[in-house]
Amino acid sequence: MAELFLFEKQTQQNLKKDRMAAKPATTSTTYSPIDPIHKTRPPIFSNSDVDWLRPDSRSFHQCRPAFFRTGAVNSAAGSAYAEFGNTKVIVSVFGPRESKKAMMYSDIGRLNCNVSYTTFATPVRGQGSDHKEFSSMLHKALEGAIILETFPKTTVDVFALVLESGGSDLPVVISCASVALADAGIMMYDLVASVSVSCLGKNLLIDPVSEEESSQDGSLMIACMPSRYEVTQLTVTGEWSTPNFNEAMQLCLDASAKLGKIMRSCLKEAASDVQE
Amino acid sequence: MEIDRADGRNPNQLRPPACSLNVLHRAHGSASWSQGDTKVLAAVYGPKAGTKKNENPEKACIEVIWKPKTGQIGKAEKEFEMILKRTLQSICILTINPNTTTSIIIQVVHDDGALLPCAINAACAALVDAGIPMKHLAVAICCCLAESGYVLLDPTKLEEQKMKAFAYLVFPNSILSVLPEGSSLVQGEPMDHGIITSVTHGAMSVDDYFHCLERGRAASAKLSDFLRSLPSQLPGDISKAV
Amino acid sequence: MGLPNASEDLSAEMEVDAFRRLFPLRYFERHLSESIRPDARPLGRARDTTISLGAVASADGSALAKIGSTTMLAAIKMEVMTPSLESPDEGCVSIDFHMPPICSPIVRPGRPAEAAPVVAKQLSDTILSSGMINLKELSLVSGKAAWMAYLDIYCLDADGALFDAALLSAVAAFSHLQIPVVSLDYDGKIVMVTEEQKEENLENQPVNKDKRKLTLSSIPFSLTCILHKNYILADPTAEEESIMETLVTLVLDSSCQLVSLYKPGGPVLAYTSAVQDCIALTRQRVKELQDILDEAISGMEID
Repeated sequence: MAELFLFEKQTQQNLKKDRMAAKPATTSTTYSPIDPIHKTRPPIFSNSDVDWLRPDSRSFHQCRPAFFRTGAVNSAAGSAYAEFGNTKVIVSVFGPRESKKAMMYSDIGRLNCNVSYTTFATPVRGQGSDHKEFSSMLHKALEGAIILETFPKTTVDVFALVLESGGSDLPVVISCASVALADAGIMMYDLVASVSVSCLGKNLLIDPVSEEESSQDGSLMIACMPSRYEVTQLTVTGEWSTPNFNEAMQLCLDASAKLGKIMRSCLKEAASDVQE
Repeated sequence: MEIDRADGRNPNQLRPPACSLNVLHRAHGSASWSQGDTKVLAAVYGPKAGTKKNENPEKACIEVIWKPKTGQIGKAEKEFEMILKRTLQSICILTINPNTTTSIIIQVVHDDGALLPCAINAACAALVDAGIPMKHLAVAICCCLAESGYVLLDPTKLEEQKMKAFAYLVFPNSILSVLPEGSSLVQGEPMDHGIITSVTHGAMSVDDYFHCLERGRAASAKLSDFLRSLPSQLPGDISKAV
Repeated sequence: MGLPNASEDLSAEMEVDAFRRLFPLRYFERHLSESIRPDARPLGRARDTTISLGAVASADGSALAKIGSTTMLAAIKMEVMTPSLESPDEGCVSIDFHMPPICSPIVRPGRPAEAAPVVAKQLSDTILSSGMINLKELSLVSGKAAWMAYLDIYCLDADGALFDAALLSAVAAFSHLQIPVVSLDYDGKIVMVTEEQKEENLENQPVNKDKRKLTLSSIPFSLTCILHKNYILADPTAEEESIMETLVTLVLDSSCQLVSLYKPGGPVLAYTSAVQDCIALTRQRVKELQDILDEAISGMEID
């Protein structure tokens, strides 16, 4: 516990230092009135760490309510909108369509992924540029689930736009993308459901929000195919003890199975609407 | 209602246009067009084989590249490129040379008001010089509306800044008008009264807009005559222009 | 339902679909001669339009506007700037329009759509020249600090009449905008006043006491029409725009002043009568849009 408090103090000091260092270097002509110190202080540490509350008053092992809707973008072959608390994401799928001219001949299909943020997705206005890291992680997470052999020589494009970033952005993008792929009728072995867990001291928080992510010691994200019980991607960062790690994995897998059911029911609903 | 203009013109008076064709030797057609101190150079390359991506391969493709006097191109220049491209597309006969691209490069030499109309006139003259098949010529004009409601034509940069609204208008220079006067007035609205392009800035009443339209049309006749007389100014180049 | 009957239905449908793809212009002209459009609209009718305010929680003002399936998300973020010497009592508005790759099969990542900068320019020209926003209201401390309103509009689904939907979402976002409460700190910087600080009764006087809204005068609304032969089609879809190329965009404000008449070329010439017809259609549309916006705003106030 003492270590935890020490950690908190250090981060605060670091933040202060960062801010002071950043001050003379600010070259941009405008600035946001949001105070960075105030914004990043983890409110969960305000009391003793036994009975602290999560910012949205969930329990540690409780996910945010998940909402999916297909057919968000008419001009795409398939699309989905996902909302987990304040995290709001749209994914469009185009294709299978002609690959770029420069591409070599390929017996199997190609998958092309792109994740970008809106300028207003984060509390402080951003650049709204492409997120290269998430783009390649999304590609890796979906690659294993799609039956690429069913569309040789062509490309399926999966484009995601994060409308609002409220934490656990990548897992939401991955889950939403697999719903969009299903909506586009792309053949997959199974839906890909993805959940992340943050480690704060000895506690595990599932489906963390931005504030929790900014003060975490470690994070673990799993993308898996629930009905096959297979993992397509596993990302671990930060400090983890073995028992913690095992517990976190199990938490993620259980949550993914539940998330998979929600995704499935969304697709079923959309299909039954069409039939009517 | 008398207004004094800095250069002593009356409100309906245009700055005397000047144009020379075939000023560049490597280009297939070129023209330099100036109205007062505003001067634009236009060069035409093409028709070249192939169309740009996403263009219709059954029609000729027109590409416009805008080169500002200094600096890089921004949103305003992109908009000019798009307006020019759409305007020129509507006066060229695109079906004669399908699956080709014609590039028009506009170099701004000096901007002293009414830049876009000047560029459209220059591009039009350069297309004539290059012998690109066209339905008719286009004449572009800038009308300004002052706070008190009077209309100024062909403003300088200084006048442009003082105005509450202005409209860039492009009219066709119809083939019919070559015929004796009167015969072009077949219907209530002769062909050269139609608007090819209209771009406005600033709020004005609808009546003011129609007022601008009327003044612009009247003045465009003079520009039309000037544009039509161009090929004959260069005796050596008649064959190229026809 | 008998089996042969069903297959016959299908084959008839296939033929129409094939005809539509092979001879799009003739397909449309057949409809136009009957004064109807393929989506069952009369020529002068715009598609169903909805506005929802406050779609983005991380922004100071936001709105989602839908015209048919064309969807625009606009959000405003307020930042602080030092006003220019020429206008020390005025803030600034910066408007940008984005077409991310999700919105249309034509847009690919890394290659921005050609239309995006043009629509962005048109939007900022329209909004700033309409005089809807009084820039003086964005002032904080004369000569020292003023608001810079960053308005970003994202096209989420592109199906024609992009400018109309973008302008509608922008106007709605401005009417939803709440200017945050801020105070001047010791370094001369403007900082946000949070709820808890308000209760603490802080020593720094807030620069503006309460969250406030902008007063919007003469709000601009627009309608895009297609001119084709003698027909005028209001609020075109992407398919219609690609087949019939002459577009006219009219912007009128609530007092029926003409803010913009935008016709970038096109094979059909606009004669006075056609322009007048378009203006009449736009007048009607302005009323419709004004009602839709008012309804959205009053819906917000009840919440």
